[in-house]
Amino acid sequence: MKKKDIYTLGILILLTIATALFSNNSSTFKYITFIILGLSITKFLLVVFNFMELKKANSFWKIIVVSYLVIFSTILLIVNN
Amino acid sequence: MRNAEINYKNIYYPPGGILMWILIFLELITFGVALIVLVVNSNEDLELFHQSRLALNTTFGALNTVFLLTSGFFMATTVHQFKQSNNQKASFYLNLTMLGGIFFLILKGVEYYLKINTGYTLGYNSFFTFYWLLTGFHVIHVLVGLVILLFMQNGIKRSIAKLEDVEASAAFWHMCDLIWLLLFPVLYLIL
Repeated sequence: MKKKDIYTLGILILLTIATALFSNNSSTFKYITFIILGLSITKFLLVVFNFMELKKANSFWKIIVVSYLVIFSTILLIVNN
Repeated sequence: MRNAEINYKNIYYPPGGILMWILIFLELITFGVALIVLVVNSNEDLELFHQSRLALNTTFGALNTVFLLTSGFFMATTVHQFKQSNNQKASFYLNLTMLGGIFFLILKGVEYYLKINTGYTLGYNSFFTFYWLLTGFHVIHVLVGLVILLFMQNGIKRSIAKLEDVEASAAFWHMCDLIWLLLFPVLYLIL
């Protein structure tokens, strides 16, 4: 069991709890969509780069994953009024 | 050590294999487009989508996220142990991986049961049509992933599994995490 993976899991669970808490207090935060999406993208990247070991891969694959996330989240924020 | 022969820096050999990554991107694009269409549809009746979203159980959603992420962690550990040629440990962690998937499916089953009992079925409104189709399609992926992991478990126990196969199975399983990490915030939290 890698220590780095244990830390990653800990961060992922903390981020999931934070996401749920932010969502339950959505009226308090002005930019709630932005915050929730940001936390989810962080979790996505942690899984891809650490658990799926994409950090070892050719830069092409890293760029394409990040590009996908940028395009998806930008469109989502634009269409979400 | 089993990983000496694979050069991951080569563009054609990402961990899990190029074909698996093409599949992952196609799946992510499909689910991504469906989620964007959901949000576009929600603009036509914000109140209906918001009230319907509130009918979903955020705790169930968050718990399921934890199940899948923990399962993903065990999957990464399985691959690590397999690379170290510890087949017994790899097999043990693969069992824990599958257990995470089973917990996910049980909780999803409870959630579906409660929704059906309350009358929130596929045709209840537009939001629930999206909810059932998106989560249902994801559940099918988890089921397929579990079957793949079962075959992999058999391969590891009989010492006939190759590193490429274990990595490809792991990539498919992690893909289920990734899809859920997109579905959960949009369906359960944002609208």
